[in-house]
Amino acid sequence: MTDRVITNSIRTLRFLNNEMTQKQLAEAIGVTRQTVMAIEANKYSPSLEVAFKIAEVFSLPLEEVFQYKEAE
Amino acid sequence: MTRQQKFKEWLDSCSFREVTLLVDLLVCGYLLFYYLRAVLLASDEQLSDITWLSGLLGNVIIYSIILMIASYILLALASDKELEQPMDVREKQINLIGYKYSAWILQIGLGIGIFQYQIEANPFFADKISMPFLPLHIMVVAFILAEIVFYGVQLIKGRTGAIYD
Repeated sequence: MTDRVITNSIRTLRFLNNEMTQKQLAEAIGVTRQTVMAIEANKYSPSLEVAFKIAEVFSLPLEEVFQYKEAE
Repeated sequence: MTRQQKFKEWLDSCSFREVTLLVDLLVCGYLLFYYLRAVLLASDEQLSDITWLSGLLGNVIIYSIILMIASYILLALASDKELEQPMDVREKQINLIGYKYSAWILQIGLGIGIFQYQIEANPFFADKISMPFLPLHIMVVAFILAEIVFYGVQLIKGRTGAIYD
């Protein structure tokens, strides 16, 4: 069985949304900036609730923000 | 980039919770240093004097309260309302990991302390024990070490982000 990882496009989406800062995103979804940093760096998988909140901030479906794919 | 700029950048990247943990870690580190220094430099008479030992333990408790209160007041003054924010899920997970390692140290310390009592109760080893109240010292050091590990692990896990290891 191949290893699969959760990746995300948050950094790009932040840039496309008026260069939103990590702090602004963190405040919008109710977590700390360190948590946003860890999620962006794929070091931490957010809870389902936080994942939905992030998708809601960017007005996108969940699968466009987070991807579940094979590890490179 | 100068060392000063690097330090400022690092300080900016620190969350308020990380600074709080760092202060707690430093306070506990100082308490461990204070306790070990007092015990290691004490004379045999002092070590076997329960009044001296009671005073030392009292000082450790008083110092810990004073240092914690002073540092929290300073942090509250410098805080950007972060002190009132509850921990998010990730921070709670990191907090639990900290408790796990802290509990290990406490268990090991308690185990060694109890084992030491058994050794002292054994007539064969009784003459070879040079330090009175050694089990108590072991347990106190284990307690402070557990606190240091609790804060240290949270700082490391929070910074590296690798909480699933």
